[in-house]
Amino acid sequence: MPGMIGPDAPWRRFRLPVRRLAHALMVLWAAFTVTFLLLRVLPADAIQIKFQNADLGLDARQIADIRDAYGIDRPLWWQYGRALWDLLRGDFGLSIGSGVPVSDRLAASLPSTLWLAGLGSVLAAILAAIIAYGATLAPPARLRSLFRAIPALFVSLPTFWLGIALIEILSFRLGLLPVVGVEGWRALILPVVTLAVPVSAPLTQVLLRSIDEVMSRPFIQVARAKGAGRNRVFWLHVLRNALPSAMTMAGLMFGELLGGAIVTETVFGLNGIGRLTEEAVNSQDTQLLLAVTMLSATGFVLVNLLVDLLFPLLDPRLSGKSPAARGGVAWRS
Amino acid sequence: MSLRHHRLRPSTRSLAAPILGGALFLAAAAGPAAVLAEPAADSKTTGGTLIYLEQQAHTNLYPPAGGFYPNGGILNQITDKLTYQNPDTLKIEPWIAESWTVNPERTQYTFKIRKGVTFSDGTPLDARAVALNFDVFGLGNKDRHLPVSEVINNYDHSEVIDEHTVRFYFRKPSPGFLQGTSAIGSGLVSPATLARRFDELGDATAIIGSGPFVVARETLGKEILLTARKDYAWAPASRAHQGAPHLDAVRLIVTPEDGVRIGSLLAGQADVIRQVQAYDEKQVEDRHYRIAAPSTRGVNNSIVFRPDSPLVADVRVRQALLHATDSRGIIDTLYSRNYPQATSVLARSAAGYVDLSAKLAFDPDRARALLDDAGWRIGPDGLRHKDGQTLALAAYESPPQPQNEAMLELVAQQWARVGVKLTVLAGDAGSRTADDLDPRRTPVSPAMVGRADPDVLKSEYHPANRDVLRQKGGQSPRIQSFVDDRLNGLLEAIAAETDEKKRLALTGEAQAYILDQAYAIPVFEEPQAFAAAPYVKGLAFEAVGRPSFYDVSLDKR
Repeated sequence: MPGMIGPDAPWRRFRLPVRRLAHALMVLWAAFTVTFLLLRVLPADAIQIKFQNADLGLDARQIADIRDAYGIDRPLWWQYGRALWDLLRGDFGLSIGSGVPVSDRLAASLPSTLWLAGLGSVLAAILAAIIAYGATLAPPARLRSLFRAIPALFVSLPTFWLGIALIEILSFRLGLLPVVGVEGWRALILPVVTLAVPVSAPLTQVLLRSIDEVMSRPFIQVARAKGAGRNRVFWLHVLRNALPSAMTMAGLMFGELLGGAIVTETVFGLNGIGRLTEEAVNSQDTQLLLAVTMLSATGFVLVNLLVDLLFPLLDPRLSGKSPAARGGVAWRS
Repeated sequence: MSLRHHRLRPSTRSLAAPILGGALFLAAAAGPAAVLAEPAADSKTTGGTLIYLEQQAHTNLYPPAGGFYPNGGILNQITDKLTYQNPDTLKIEPWIAESWTVNPERTQYTFKIRKGVTFSDGTPLDARAVALNFDVFGLGNKDRHLPVSEVINNYDHSEVIDEHTVRFYFRKPSPGFLQGTSAIGSGLVSPATLARRFDELGDATAIIGSGPFVVARETLGKEILLTARKDYAWAPASRAHQGAPHLDAVRLIVTPEDGVRIGSLLAGQADVIRQVQAYDEKQVEDRHYRIAAPSTRGVNNSIVFRPDSPLVADVRVRQALLHATDSRGIIDTLYSRNYPQATSVLARSAAGYVDLSAKLAFDPDRARALLDDAGWRIGPDGLRHKDGQTLALAAYESPPQPQNEAMLELVAQQWARVGVKLTVLAGDAGSRTADDLDPRRTPVSPAMVGRADPDVLKSEYHPANRDVLRQKGGQSPRIQSFVDDRLNGLLEAIAAETDEKKRLALTGEAQAYILDQAYAIPVFEEPQAFAAAPYVKGLAFEAVGRPSFYDVSLDKR
């Protein structure tokens, strides 16, 4: 038995992933429960919002029948248990607001948002790298400080305003890209830019701070002394060492992307998860909102898991195997 | 309260029965129809796809839910009705029914159904299908939660006499039924559609009609693709165009942003848009695009009171606020010539309208005197108080109504001058729905209904219908005591009166009574504002302003 407690005991290798998984499941369950309860605290409910509408011409008795059919006045624990059970079986239920299965709504909205968020984060990363490069290596000091000011500008641009401004100038004035009735990649260009700009700002800020810190380390001077060019030093040594701290931003960026998607999708009339979220909250469509929440929470958990797994690859000090992890030399060149 | 545009029900009705062939003149009290479009040019280019930008997504396409504007805008393209109300003359003309007869008591209506009409799923639109539609619209269906249509009163049952003849029986006289068959809420749908549950009818592809367009594809909440039915051959005889639509397709795209709708139109990315705000009208017209603002011909855009709230229970308080409201000032500040000042509860072009502008005078001094008289005294804070209570009211803005929040803010400023506070609320849908049922939280509410039959007053005010005043026994379980039997009696009498003259007289009486009690402050006659590119020819509107793309062609050069 004592041998099993050694650092290389097989179960130890799985302890971290298992704990992570249990942790992830806890997060998902908590997100589900909090969403469910929060919707209950709000006044009225999905049935009232949808059917207590004089245009539909329902009388009080008919509305009561519908309430009964949806079981919306059953005890809280019953509804909670049923929603949880359905979710575990992979059944998202029916969206009361729109009258179609929630899975249909997700299927219609998810691809668009995945493209938007995916391309948005890629563009945000590219923007961050370009700005960081400019802020570090642009020849005149004035240009460098100009680049340094960009993140502050980007972070203070409201997504809503940026979207409208891009539409007004690029689409309506210059006629470069239509905004309504377009399909495919052309429909995504302006929304992706709108989303990427504010998302890139915090990414750039963290990256810049980290670059500054790496630049001041001795190994950079060593590299320069060995004859490496400024560009080579930047891309190979500085960026590589500065990247891990920017990576930790990725988890937070995911939240920014979701929040930004709500506004972006509304401005551009895109049919995505962001707009679905807004609709679900507005109509207090419990099933729809639970599904969206679970989807986002799963995304969050996966992104953070991915970051955790990628970290050791970028920074061997965290792999647990290299001597650096035990307080050894803090860099390699 | 959401947007309540309802179709027009003409009231003035020739009483010569039986009425054959449908040449029924109804237009006595109605103004000219709001049709913008010039007829389609002869040298029109056929085909093409029209891009139509709508502000809101539809909610439910069960035909009786067509009162909500985005719903009606779709239903008007994909369904036909038994009869056609000519928007120019307001006459009821044949459509799916070739002819009809009515008994003198107005309890039996017999329709001859046109031959050869089919729904887009191939099922014949025959007497059985018509009977099934009105059985559901008239009685509702409890199992499938399908509600009763508010345009059909006193329905009893149908009888299929032969393949092309159907008769409807009513428990009591139902003088509004003939016009009701032409209404947006009476679109005929396939038996397969009626077999679905109410909550499944949010899916546009489930709605199978016999109209000139068919829902080909739907991206829920974003876009509906309507394609032309090439075999369509049963347009109403009075329409200039017959046969299949000129267009190949209509793309209806939900675009919530006002600026994006207008900008897309002017940039040539869209052809027709709905909901143009008054402040955008000028830039549209300056570019030689056209604004169409068909009247909704019903109950005017108004502010209504919920007298169950002790703050507005006293008629003097309501009258004071009526006289403290400067509707001319509101229109001059916020709206345009397409928004005529209200002169009664009903719009000028509505059936049964009487000019009651004398009762609507803006007179702040009178307002102050009435409030003093009612015991509400100005306190040191500039507001009126009585028995420890402050005269502070609240109302939710109604986003679908044009610039409603700004309008309520202006009203609040005007009321503040006589010492009354009005708070304009803009909460989430849930709070709004809950508070709207409680007069203590919302003693005041904006309201409007587009619908020009005298029955519209009943629809709007009767506790069994929309119940805007919130009476005991109506929509809200939280009402302590407020009931107005006199008003309800008048409204019921309008719905059942078969003598047209008496019916109009009752309608006038009800309007005067509503204003004497100051239950409502009418502000303006609400139009539906559309804008169209210059090359869009043949755009027409049905009687209460829902667009019809049937006759549209794109004359792009």
